[in-house]
Amino acid sequence: MATLHVLSHSPFADSRLTSCLRLLGSKDALLLCGDATYALTQATAPLEALESRAGAFELYALQEDVHARNLTIPAWVNCVDYPEFVELSIRYDRVNTWL
Amino acid sequence: MAKSLLVISRQAPWSGLSARESLDIVLAGGAFDLPIGLLFMDDGVFQLSQTQGPAAVQQKDLTANLKALEMFGVEDVYACGKSLAERGMFPGNLNINIKQLPQEQDISELIDRYDHVITL
Amino acid sequence: MKFAIAVFSAAHAPSSRRALLFARAVLAGGHEIVRLFFYQDGVYSASANVVVPQDEQDIAVQWQDLVRTHQLDGVVCIAAALRRGVLNEEEALRYQKPAANLSSSWELSGLGQLHDAAQSADRLVCFGGQ
Repeated sequence: MATLHVLSHSPFADSRLTSCLRLLGSKDALLLCGDATYALTQATAPLEALESRAGAFELYALQEDVHARNLTIPAWVNCVDYPEFVELSIRYDRVNTWL
Repeated sequence: MAKSLLVISRQAPWSGLSARESLDIVLAGGAFDLPIGLLFMDDGVFQLSQTQGPAAVQQKDLTANLKALEMFGVEDVYACGKSLAERGMFPGNLNINIKQLPQEQDISELIDRYDHVITL
Repeated sequence: MKFAIAVFSAAHAPSSRRALLFARAVLAGGHEIVRLFFYQDGVYSASANVVVPQDEQDIAVQWQDLVRTHQLDGVVCIAAALRRGVLNEEEALRYQKPAANLSSSWELSGLGQLHDAAQSADRLVCFGGQ
């Protein structure tokens, strides 16, 4: 059983990303949307935290949010649109949005 | 078989309505005899403090609601050990009995046991 | 697949819009939405009184349209709504409040409806916060 965790808060303003990374299981995935996509900003501590775990879980980012913030994202991050977001929610056994 | 729901409560007791309203979800589920679990983590563990004086800020004491969990048949109540320790709290001196989850992996495994999860 | 979608944020929050677009994608993908449940600040997404500048997206109206067009079961938690001043006619009368402002597509009900939806759905997807 695997969980798709969804974050939407900026990692610079908030501790959700840190808390989430602490408990991400080996089969889990993380979808960054909204301000959480700022975690993909180059040469930042949040990106380093994600990079240190690269390969340990699937990392996704909502395309429209990456686009809106003009972010250049690493190749190992998968951008998804809404239909793909829906597919992800089906592929994983449950969706855990960090409200 | 009924689907199970885990509610993860991450906010301190009187920081808006989050603590109150996450507890309401759990109690409603208990009232309907559904398999519900409740996990306190991050600032949510402050809800478990024995020495709360919410009247000083004209807030309701949620301890009574927490004590109602057992009455509503909600027995699977957990707290993140690390969140407690970080905040100077100990499983032995909380306002209700909880099952402590010492490692993050325990939380990950806990989430895996439920059909649905709501993290407030 | 059957989805229950719960919204915890107001119409002006990016997460409410995100929930709306997700809901549309669920339907476009041929899946079913068993219920839309608005809780916490999500009750504001069901207000009929939101006035949005002309050059901005009116997400509350778009939610209203989605529920109507697809005849979805749109439920707003009554306890959360009362606290936040989103009332239908009945509640406005009951509590002697000056106005009813719940959009007509929505019904006020209890948290039991959230649990009922979670029981019927394969996936419960929540949106809220930012």
